[in-house]
Amino acid sequence: MTHSLIDPRDTLERQNEKLLKISQTLMRRVEQSTDASGAAYAQFQRAVLLEEEVGARTRDLERALDLLNESNARLAVANRETEAARSDLANAIETIQEGFALFNPDEKLVMCNSRFGMHMPDIRDALKPGLSFTEYVTRVSASQFLSLPDSERPEDWLKRRLTRHKDDHVIFNVRMIWNRWVQVSEHRTGDGGTVILQTDVTDIMRLERQERDRMLDDQARLIRATLEHLDQGVCIFDAGARMVGHNQRLVELLAIPVVRFHMGATFASIFDRFRDKVDFSNGMAPEDIENWVATRDHRAPLSFEIRQGGSRTLAVFAQEMPDKGFVISFTDVSAQRAAVQAIREVNETLEQRVMERTLELEDALEEAERANASKSRFVAAASHDLLQPLSAAMLYVTSLEKDLPTQAGQQVLAKASNALQSAENILEALFDISKLDSGRTAVMVGSVPLGSVLAQLRDEVQPQAHKKGLKLSIVLPEVNVLSDATYLRRILQNLVSNAIRYTEQGRVLVGARRLQNAVRIEVWDTGPGIPEDQQDIIFGEFQRLNATASAAEGMGLGLAIVDRACALLGHPLQVRSIVGKGTLFTVEIPLAPPELALSSPTAGILPTGTAKGLGNLIVMLIENDAELRGALSLTIEGWGADVLACGSEEEARALLNEIGVAPDVIVADYQLDNGRTGAQAIQALHRQVGMLPACIISANRSTELSDECAILGLELMHKPIDADALRGFLQAAQPVH
Amino acid sequence: MDLSKGLSGAFANAPGIVRSAFVHYDVSDPVEHLARALGVSGDPSAGNETAPEFELVILFVSSDADCAPLIKSAKERFAPAQVVGCTTAGEISQAGYASGEIVAVAFPRAHFAARIILIPDLDLYDPQTVIEQMIRNRHDMMREEPDWGSEFTFLLIDGLSTREDELTSDLAVGLGPVPLFGGSAGDGVDFGQTFLLHDGQAHSNAAVLMQLRTNCPIKVFKTDHLIPTETRMVVTGANPEKRTVHEINAEPAAREYARMLGKDPEQLNTFTFAAHPVVVRIGGQHHVRSIQRVADNGDLVFFSAIDEGLVLTLAEPQNMVTHLEQEIAALSVGGPPDTILACDCLLRRMEAQQKQMTRPISRILAENRVVGFSTYGEQLNSMHVNQTLTGVAIYPPPPKASDATEPEQT
Repeated sequence: MTHSLIDPRDTLERQNEKLLKISQTLMRRVEQSTDASGAAYAQFQRAVLLEEEVGARTRDLERALDLLNESNARLAVANRETEAARSDLANAIETIQEGFALFNPDEKLVMCNSRFGMHMPDIRDALKPGLSFTEYVTRVSASQFLSLPDSERPEDWLKRRLTRHKDDHVIFNVRMIWNRWVQVSEHRTGDGGTVILQTDVTDIMRLERQERDRMLDDQARLIRATLEHLDQGVCIFDAGARMVGHNQRLVELLAIPVVRFHMGATFASIFDRFRDKVDFSNGMAPEDIENWVATRDHRAPLSFEIRQGGSRTLAVFAQEMPDKGFVISFTDVSAQRAAVQAIREVNETLEQRVMERTLELEDALEEAERANASKSRFVAAASHDLLQPLSAAMLYVTSLEKDLPTQAGQQVLAKASNALQSAENILEALFDISKLDSGRTAVMVGSVPLGSVLAQLRDEVQPQAHKKGLKLSIVLPEVNVLSDATYLRRILQNLVSNAIRYTEQGRVLVGARRLQNAVRIEVWDTGPGIPEDQQDIIFGEFQRLNATASAAEGMGLGLAIVDRACALLGHPLQVRSIVGKGTLFTVEIPLAPPELALSSPTAGILPTGTAKGLGNLIVMLIENDAELRGALSLTIEGWGADVLACGSEEEARALLNEIGVAPDVIVADYQLDNGRTGAQAIQALHRQVGMLPACIISANRSTELSDECAILGLELMHKPIDADALRGFLQAAQPVH
Repeated sequence: MDLSKGLSGAFANAPGIVRSAFVHYDVSDPVEHLARALGVSGDPSAGNETAPEFELVILFVSSDADCAPLIKSAKERFAPAQVVGCTTAGEISQAGYASGEIVAVAFPRAHFAARIILIPDLDLYDPQTVIEQMIRNRHDMMREEPDWGSEFTFLLIDGLSTREDELTSDLAVGLGPVPLFGGSAGDGVDFGQTFLLHDGQAHSNAAVLMQLRTNCPIKVFKTDHLIPTETRMVVTGANPEKRTVHEINAEPAAREYARMLGKDPEQLNTFTFAAHPVVVRIGGQHHVRSIQRVADNGDLVFFSAIDEGLVLTLAEPQNMVTHLEQEIAALSVGGPPDTILACDCLLRRMEAQQKQMTRPISRILAENRVVGFSTYGEQLNSMHVNQTLTGVAIYPPPPKASDATEPEQT
């Protein structure tokens, strides 16, 4: 740039000259030594510099102003918002029903609505923001509108108020004059300020009061009605022992003049009236009662009795009430006392009578037992005595068979035999019944093969049925039942016999129906049937429906026996019948458990052997009854055996000593003379001659006998003796050749 | 273009806050034409309420016109509005660059309050008195319209007085926070005599100071399109009082200036000066020292203060149109101004003419409602500058209930 400053065409000298001038001018300028004529430029220069500075300042100011404006604007916005919020709040609290005030954490009033300070116009003006809380409550306490009870001064109220203020939540009621009420609730805010709400509860209080009064009225009426309803006499006293309530019954019970008995009457005045007229019981004295009434301490309930005039007894109960008053109740217990007394007397006589009666009954029982016992003895004896000759007769008749070859003779014999049989049957039946009735029957319950029993039965009755032209079918179930074999046989025999006897045509069916644990034997017949009204009677003794049936066909004892036997064994017995169609008898017998051994007492059931000769068997017979002895001997000899007949044990032993020959078998009657038994006899003989098969014959069917025989290993046959059975035994006893 | 033709050839802009109108100086009774165009009522004495009342009317009068009778007539016609004005080196009307026109700018009373100070003799004035008057005026107006927030001062000064620097410097003290701008009255390109018009009279070697208070937001601005180059020259001989430089780089001024430009010294004319301005750099800024003419003795006569030892730097003009657009855009950031009252340097017009940018620039000026005149120099606050566009942008006031919108009249 410098090269253009100086014209390059100039000579160097000229250039130098010029440059020198330029530099000098510049130097003068720099040193600011221009003259006054340059004032204008100098002014300009100054002006420019000033302008720059002013400009800069102005810009700064403008910026500052902008910031200020901005912050003013923000402040204005914030102020507006604050104002709006404040205004909203003020509006909100103005709309609520309650008086509202907010105090800040410094206890200064921040804002309140126009209802705050309600009912207290004299403090309203002071309720401006900034008012301190203490100042506020002080003014309230001093307000002429505040209604305090006489006992409380404003200072007291103020103190209490300030104490309450310390709590976070307080609610209490303030009473104003003219019976107005304000409920004040104070709450601590989150930041430690206080909110006060005032609610006008005047109406509520009034309503409550009305309600309470009404309730009191209602209650009073209720109490009065209840008191009057009670059967007790009641009187109520207040803490000062003055009467405040009673009922009519009390007046009746105590017979106190109404004059004495008014509200407010003192206990003492009432008590004086009658304390001398009554007797106190339980060791209670009138003074005790007076002391109780008078005491200031807590009183325990008091209970005693008083007697008026000897006939009336009153139970008295006195109890303290919560307000230190007390209530006394009187109950007329005269009737109760009298009742108690009567009962006691009756009780005593009752015991006496019971004792008397018991004695009577004992006597009666003894007599009954004696009667029973004698009856049993009689029956036993009678049957025994009856059975013996009968047995003999039967045997004689039997033995006659071969001596009467003629037809007519045989017929007569048969009839005789039948008659005897009938007699035997009847006797047996009576014997059984008697035994059953006496309750002394022992049963030997064991496993009984039902099939075998029924088979035997079938064989027995088949001829009978066939003779009458009846079809007889008997089912033979392969079951073992739990029962007494003998009785079972008797039961079934009776039922089937009856069925055959009473059925003129048709059939008799004996079936066995399997039940869960039992077998039901059903005996069907197509007989005339039994009318319903007679179905009970048939089980009675000597009852026969068809009286035309001959005596030979039984005397109607069969069902009686069946009935009793079934009862004894616990086998349910039932009958169903339709007149004109037929009858069904059923007996339910329980099944024998499998573990029961099949060994059943076979007393009385022996395999019927075929008739065979007994060839030279030596039978020792011990039978004290001569008739029977003779009959038996005959019978046995009729079979081909030799009989050594003896009447007693001694005889037998003597005989054996005499002949020196041991018998093959012994048959002994159990009941021998002089209290000896056949068993003893047999045992004695066994000692003498060694073990021999032996048999006891007896009318005694008790279990004791059968047990004894079983223990001793003796056969037992019951009288009347079954000839075949005896024969079978003897055959079995034959020594093997 | 919103122009409405008045009764007899006077044009007025669409009704805004500030009204303006222009008329050729040649028409008969230009004042009447202007009055009608501005909407001033026909018979001032009749007191037509519907006509807008004006506080102030400024007339920029072409140097071709006879301004003395003009101002007299205007004073009567526009009363009670105050009427001031000056002669120009050209006008800026609603059509942009104009010449031979009389431009009237009217400020309605509804938005403007004005006080006017005449300095009749720039050689003989007491700064202190003026300052005091300024301060008093300002306070008066503040009292009158306390709600109006904008103030500015408009200076019209004799452009051949060489006293601009002095005056602005003196007046600066009295401005306070009020910005000042102004223009030097011109005499076309004759550089003969300029006039200031005030109170019905024309003055020379005078200045008219207008203080305005308004509720319209305003922005006073100065702008130029010049960029300093690296080419410097040193004033080695000068007559600061006469603003003449007779020696640059120890060589005769004009010749040396021409050499530095690479031009023929005999060919130097206003266009050259416009196209190749020189600036001085003070602080970080450059300020144009515009050359008025070449004196007969080869001295360079400047439009502004110079001194010996100044380092003058050649400056390059930017694209005027672009620059003007940018400046206008900058002024329109917050919204378009209602009016821009502009003092535009003669040399800018010269350069525009030379570079055939007159039409686009005129368009921009017209579109943006720029009115004013071409000056011999411009003032901003305490400075007197050259080759700038200086003025005030007046924005529409913010909508407020208190300001009743004037009933419009065409």
